[in-house]
Amino acid sequence: MDFGFTPEEEKLRQEVRDFLKKEVTPGLIAEVAEYSGGAGPIFGRRLIQKLGARGWLCPTWPKEYGGINSSEMVGFIIRDEMTYAGAPVSLVGATMAGPTILRFGSDELKKEFLPRLARGEIDMALGYTEPQAGSDLAALELRAEDKSEAPMMEKGEVQAEDKGDYFLLNGQKMFNTHAHFVEYHWLGARTDPNNPKRHRGISLMIVDLKSPGITIRNMTTMAGWKTNEVFYDNVKVPKKNLVGEKNRGFYYIMTALDFERMFPVGGFQRIFDEVVEYVKETKRDGKPLSDDPIIRQKLAEMAIELEAASLLYYQLAYMLDKSEVPNYQSSMQKMFATETAHRLADVATQIIGPRGQLQTGSKWAPLNGEAELHYRWGFIETVYAGTSEIMRNIIALRGLALPMLG
Amino acid sequence: MDYGLSEQQGMLKKMARDFLTTECPKSLVRQMVSDDRGYPPELWHKMAELGWMELAFPEKYGGTGGSFLDLAVLLEEMGRACLPGPFFATVVLAGMIILEAGTETQKQELLPKIAEGKLIVTLALTEPGGGYNVDKVTVKAVADAKNGYVISGTKLFVPYAHIADHIIYVAKTANGVTLFLVDSKSPGISYTLLKTIDGDKQFEVVFDKVKVPSKNLLGKEGQGNIQLREVLRKAAVAKCVEMVGGAQQVLEMTVDYVKDRKQFGVPVGAFQAVQHHCANMLTDIDTSRFISYKAAWKISENLPYAKEASMAKAWVSDAYKRVTKLGHQSMGGVSLMVDHDMPLYSKRAKAAELILGDADFHREAVAQELGL
Repeated sequence: MDFGFTPEEEKLRQEVRDFLKKEVTPGLIAEVAEYSGGAGPIFGRRLIQKLGARGWLCPTWPKEYGGINSSEMVGFIIRDEMTYAGAPVSLVGATMAGPTILRFGSDELKKEFLPRLARGEIDMALGYTEPQAGSDLAALELRAEDKSEAPMMEKGEVQAEDKGDYFLLNGQKMFNTHAHFVEYHWLGARTDPNNPKRHRGISLMIVDLKSPGITIRNMTTMAGWKTNEVFYDNVKVPKKNLVGEKNRGFYYIMTALDFERMFPVGGFQRIFDEVVEYVKETKRDGKPLSDDPIIRQKLAEMAIELEAASLLYYQLAYMLDKSEVPNYQSSMQKMFATETAHRLADVATQIIGPRGQLQTGSKWAPLNGEAELHYRWGFIETVYAGTSEIMRNIIALRGLALPMLG
Repeated sequence: MDYGLSEQQGMLKKMARDFLTTECPKSLVRQMVSDDRGYPPELWHKMAELGWMELAFPEKYGGTGGSFLDLAVLLEEMGRACLPGPFFATVVLAGMIILEAGTETQKQELLPKIAEGKLIVTLALTEPGGGYNVDKVTVKAVADAKNGYVISGTKLFVPYAHIADHIIYVAKTANGVTLFLVDSKSPGISYTLLKTIDGDKQFEVVFDKVKVPSKNLLGKEGQGNIQLREVLRKAAVAKCVEMVGGAQQVLEMTVDYVKDRKQFGVPVGAFQAVQHHCANMLTDIDTSRFISYKAAWKISENLPYAKEASMAKAWVSDAYKRVTKLGHQSMGGVSLMVDHDMPLYSKRAKAAELILGDADFHREAVAQELGL
């Protein structure tokens, strides 16, 4: 066993930290909030392009695609530092779609998309969820069929028809965050509506979000961050944009979800560090808050939970570097880290007291209102990318081989 | 980073599991509760023959020079088996104190005997009004020109005191907290068995004007608190890995049962309520394992470990209890019977929580490490 980082890893962490200290400005942080954790058009894009130029955006990828052939551990360290600094890390292309293209995509697709993703020139939005397909993703209704098969158009469904050299898409997605400002949609669509095994009729494809027929409508979350409904009305998608094999999309999506379900703890650690400083500096009734035994207990508990979340996080890198599949571990880490983060925000607002409800920009808001913002954000994080309940199902079914009901 | 055991540690783990499965069945564990000694000497000797007592002592004191991590691997299996007996009290706690605080002569004399399984030593620290804060010891050792020191006072929760050859007694002299190595047969000592949740052998040890010669000072007079604090931290980590082993066994029992037990025509393990209990148990166990082994690794590597040790004991104290609670809930009525294995673990989890500092105690220590 060895729970330390190598000297090279420590050196790289310091380089990334120093780099981000210079690059992450208040303007960038405001933009990250406005663009839902993604790389916004001005500061965010500029930053990820600088990271890309160093090979730090997709470090594990081969050099020919813009990576530096690094270990997963190095990639995990960089993302941890990015969240700590407040840089955008919700980067679908670099962290979810890209690795899936690398594994399952055609050479043509790899050449077309990977170098641009790794340079930070383009990004993608996930296009999985539909009004009737949330936790039950296999219920998504998007299909592709040959025109000779006389496609049926049902209202409200997204369908992809196979038109020889392109698919024709119709229907609706929802909760597709970042779709209103990134270039591409990483889309799950139904290509075989007749297969009784629902998950065997789904394909994964890349859609240019500027394609005619796409309408995007903002939805605003309770944390102020935006997500979208995306409507497809006779949208043509070239067949070369299919990822991997037709009708194997559900399998690829499940694999991609294993990349999504890993939450760097750095961002939560930064908030924690700020709260620790706050209680040292702030007096209530003439005494520092840090003297209060209840506050000491609560902060110690949060330090411990963050440590546990971080150990689960780096375990994923360790497993991936050994070519092991973290088939339940990524779900556990997602669940544990997001639940910890919500408790942390809760504790932070409690410690601050009545002023814990003050929002960013408000008069008298301590820590620039971050505790209040993250308390609202915490509700979202334990739901999106798989609810805590779905994560527990996965842990029970994959990790403990418990039986399925029915 | 490496989250895995070395090949050698893997072999040690398997050997320990196989051995304890055969030699330490649950029937024996239950039987030891009503046994006067509280452990079977035959098993103790077999463990000594396997080299378990000598594992973590340096070679010059009759040990094999294994690391703290090696010891952790062994302790996890002992926790899994609910092993009764003075291994923890003698080899882990007393052994480490002697190693940390003893003079060269004391180490040469005592450690090889512990390593051979021929000497039982136990620690008398906790007082009726106190816990694990070593600075708050109140029993006084009065210097006496003729006799060395004379000690009177009451200590509680002294494990296996009734079979110990020596007691490491913590008392205050004019110069501060001091450790004394006391012959357990010295006149003036009385022992009373305490009735504990776990039914293990913990004693009240009362000293009534017990004379202790000066040569039996263990370590420097007045430095006992500093030396003891380090050992107690390490022992807390050792206790954590033992608890991880117990929790793992609870989960495996639970999963086996809920896959098999049918209600409403299906295995109860197919119900999400039960599945989520099991998922929560696994999460508590994985986090407990990593946080404990990280602390153990730091001790092995001679890195600062105070924060990690307290993080581990705080987290695992709560987590092991949660695991046993959910195990009972998932298995239902059958697990509540006195002859079921589950109560062995749920009672041990409570006992383990309360010794060497509970979660509140260690969270306060973490707060101090955070600079609060």
